[in-house]
Amino acid sequence: MSLFIDSDAPAQFEAALFNLNDPAPGALRRKGWSNNLECERLDARTGSRRYPGEIRAPASRGGDVESYTVVCEERLLRPGLRDPVDDALLSELEPMTTALAETSASRYPELGASTWLVEVFVANPQVATKVSFATKNALMESGLQVSDRTPTLGVGDLEVITRMQPEDAYPTACVRWFATGSLGPNDALLAVISLDPRETILHGGLCVAGRWAWLQ
Amino acid sequence: MIVVYQPLSGLHRPVAIDPQLPNFTDTRLDVRCIRGTLLNDAQAGVLCDRVETLFTNQGAEVHTYVGEGPLDGDGPVVDAAEIGSGSAAPAEPRTRLLVELRARETDESSHPWSWVLYAASFTVLPGVIESSFEQDIVIRDDTGFLLVSDTLEGRIITRYGLGPWLGNKVLDLTRKKADRLGEDAASKDLSADLYRQLSQDVFNAKMRARVLRPATPVGQAP
Repeated sequence: MSLFIDSDAPAQFEAALFNLNDPAPGALRRKGWSNNLECERLDARTGSRRYPGEIRAPASRGGDVESYTVVCEERLLRPGLRDPVDDALLSELEPMTTALAETSASRYPELGASTWLVEVFVANPQVATKVSFATKNALMESGLQVSDRTPTLGVGDLEVITRMQPEDAYPTACVRWFATGSLGPNDALLAVISLDPRETILHGGLCVAGRWAWLQ
Repeated sequence: MIVVYQPLSGLHRPVAIDPQLPNFTDTRLDVRCIRGTLLNDAQAGVLCDRVETLFTNQGAEVHTYVGEGPLDGDGPVVDAAEIGSGSAAPAEPRTRLLVELRARETDESSHPWSWVLYAASFTVLPGVIESSFEQDIVIRDDTGFLLVSDTLEGRIITRYGLGPWLGNKVLDLTRKKADRLGEDAASKDLSADLYRQLSQDVFNAKMRARVLRPATPVGQAP
């Protein structure tokens, strides 16, 4: 983690002279370097708690001017290294999957005793694996019972379903999963879906007893 | 004077959409730009005009509103789309989205030490003023259901003085075009980031609205 202090008193002095301590682009820092940082502004009280010794606590009888510190963290991978969609999905993986699990558990509390299965429909198989793992973890953290089982469809079903619009395809697949016995009456399938290569969010759909509902 | 822009959070997120393609041919957008600590009414109007151009170029039917008021009223308060923009609206837009934009300045500081040195050095050393801002984006469907809510944060640093101006001029000669800081680079970079993120947020909202349209009644198991 990199920490760049920007607005404490010595930093002001330093910034004024040579701009050494400022994460903004300047004489010594290129725009690309600055764009590779995720930053947040912290007031002195929060900053000193989170980074003791690096950010000074506010004086007990402090002045009337609130001081802020810009704290920046370098991204794990530089921009452009991964596909933008993969990058967007993976950088928001935990909050997205947690929100999906919480929505599922809170909207359908009667499914608390069901066995939950997760299917991910994302273009990149490596990203799909990570999304699946994170979603299962999030469901388990919500107190739900999760299975690694994968529901299957026959070749004929797949031929028909893959020609349909996504809005119709997933509900139809849900009907067929239940009708063929691939999903049982005590199973709840949470499908995590990317519908369009231009979007950077994931949709969630729930399939229970052959009935489908979009969650988000 | 050198103006430098730094995205803090959200503004430089990866974007999958290309704002130069017709991504919203089936969409009607009602865009409301609200004045705040960063934008007055006139500036909010300019923002709305630019956002209108951004989405009209992507094929959307755009109506802009300036100021507060009900989001999903019968018609626009100020309909900039009808003031000669000549947008090619689709005959029957499938999705209607209400976009609310609100910007605020979260901090402004004029580093006092820098101004002492600025004066003492006869402007060879920079006098520095910086400000931070937040841009809120809220997107709802035509029933008022919240689809996307996002906050983008950035900061603007202005360095005054002959020293920084001259130094930057010299350094710009050695920098790649994308890395130059002079002239209106900050404004261009900020606009590019903002419009890319806004396009992505609206597209995400459109897709979310699309799947939620035949929504299951609340409280009913699927």
